[in-house]
Amino acid sequence: MTRIPASAIRAGALRGAIEMRNSLQKPADLAYYVIGAVSFSLALWFFRDQLVPELGISTASIIFPGVMALMTLFVATYGLATLVSTEREDGTLLRLSILPAGTFTYAWGQTVRTLLELAFTFGIFTILASILVPDLWIRGAAGALLALGFLLLGILACLPLGFVVGAIFSNPRSVGGWGFLVVGAIVYASGIVVPLSELPMWVQVIGQVLPLYWLGLGLRSALLPEGFATIEIAESWRTLESVGMLGLWAIVGAVLAPLLLQRVARKESFATLATRREKAMQRV
Amino acid sequence: MTNRDEIVVNTRGMSMSYGSKLVLDGIDLQIRRGEVVALLGANGAGKTTTIEILEGLRSPTGGTVEVLGVDPLHASVDHRARVGVVLQSWRDHARWRVREFLHHFFLLHAPFRAEGGWGVDELLERVGLTDKAHARIASLSGGQRRRLDVAVGLIGNPELLFLDEPTVGFDPHARREFHELMHELVDARATTILLTTHDLAEAERLADRILILHRGRIAADGSADALAREVAGTTEVRWRVGDERFVHATEAATPFVRELLNREPDVDDLEIRRTTLEDTYLTMVAQHAAATAEEDGR
Repeated sequence: MTRIPASAIRAGALRGAIEMRNSLQKPADLAYYVIGAVSFSLALWFFRDQLVPELGISTASIIFPGVMALMTLFVATYGLATLVSTEREDGTLLRLSILPAGTFTYAWGQTVRTLLELAFTFGIFTILASILVPDLWIRGAAGALLALGFLLLGILACLPLGFVVGAIFSNPRSVGGWGFLVVGAIVYASGIVVPLSELPMWVQVIGQVLPLYWLGLGLRSALLPEGFATIEIAESWRTLESVGMLGLWAIVGAVLAPLLLQRVARKESFATLATRREKAMQRV
Repeated sequence: MTNRDEIVVNTRGMSMSYGSKLVLDGIDLQIRRGEVVALLGANGAGKTTTIEILEGLRSPTGGTVEVLGVDPLHASVDHRARVGVVLQSWRDHARWRVREFLHHFFLLHAPFRAEGGWGVDELLERVGLTDKAHARIASLSGGQRRRLDVAVGLIGNPELLFLDEPTVGFDPHARREFHELMHELVDARATTILLTTHDLAEAERLADRILILHRGRIAADGSADALAREVAGTTEVRWRVGDERFVHATEAATPFVRELLNREPDVDDLEIRRTTLEDTYLTMVAQHAAATAEEDGR
């Protein structure tokens, strides 16, 4: 590993900010943010008066932590992976990787951009939920802080995974297409839509290997009343296990992501870029 | 640092094959500091592969390569920063604005830049993109985008610059400005430049030395003049006497024509044509092809 100059850290941060600004100025991206916020609001509003039997809490309160967990995976893993494979194809990664500390700057820039997008999304969703869900903050400031901690840990687990997937799969259209189906399956198998304890045993096993379940569980443990744990697996919040599994994913990702990204950056060349350009032109 | 005898690019027996296909076949190439070398050759002759190996993007399958004294494949960050690369861009960074894009690369190079390089705005002016500073890159024309690529290659104030077909898509005006920029780099900074081109006139105008690649080998190496002299008879004289047409190739056209007119009072349609680089190029490639065919046949 070569030393990273301070200027590369600055350039990467600036890069992330510029990318986020570009996204906010792009009509298609803006439409995505608006549609996301509107459908989230509709879901909350629709379930607002529906109470969970026995617990006496609005179903909308359960939707909020689930959606926050889902969005973490969606933005930090799926969205990031799609961008990385797209920018491998269009030469962004090659252009940077031939420069001093370029691959680092690229990765750091994408990290900053992803963090900004997450902060933006979480900010909007939290404001909307605070308005629409009556008992959102029943656990008070301590609960909110715990939720923030789990979100940060969840980002640490999901974000390197985005680089890993983007580095492994070179075709952005398959990452975008198949990846979307995979995300859907993971969301289902992670107890976001239906509690995991109500799903078949084999789905429970898969769900408990993946990070999304543990992030969702952690967020529910921070925001829902204590008694709600009874419908979880083992009728417990399993806080230690949540932190451990998310931490494990974060470590695995943090080891794999730089290795894989440097490997694909090294393999890029003008010739591979030219070949891909021709292929993409034929598609248009 | 401006020692013009210093060899900055040195390859011995550089070879490259993709599977069974031999793209470069034992290239020996020495480039001195401050030299401008043009690499000519048909598509598939190995031009881009040569540049990619020298940039350290590819590992040659044979021979040794040294750029600025080190193997480019294992060059350190500081070393890499001394080399400017002009990438043929496509659609990356499309939503970035021109100036912030160039500034991004300025920042990346900042810790490694040699003294006295051009700043972001100065460089934008040199490549004629000042009025596009705040335009999005996607809105640039092909030629403007190419000029921005050149600016990115120069932002680190490199000692050595690799240009792979730099003027594709330039209009004549932009082409001329680009040539002036290159001359300035060489004169004021002793920048060493290796460029590939299809444009023979451009090679003749810019390069001290022209290398013709043919099927992975160097078919010819020398200045445009020297190459033209190597092809027998650099000037072609054509004339007609009555219905009979004559062609004569000579190295000294003026004495020949003087003598011809003295000897033949009925000379008509006199035409004197200096061998262009294009003729030289075609002749050299043809000679090289014949020589290789003979070698292969043996």
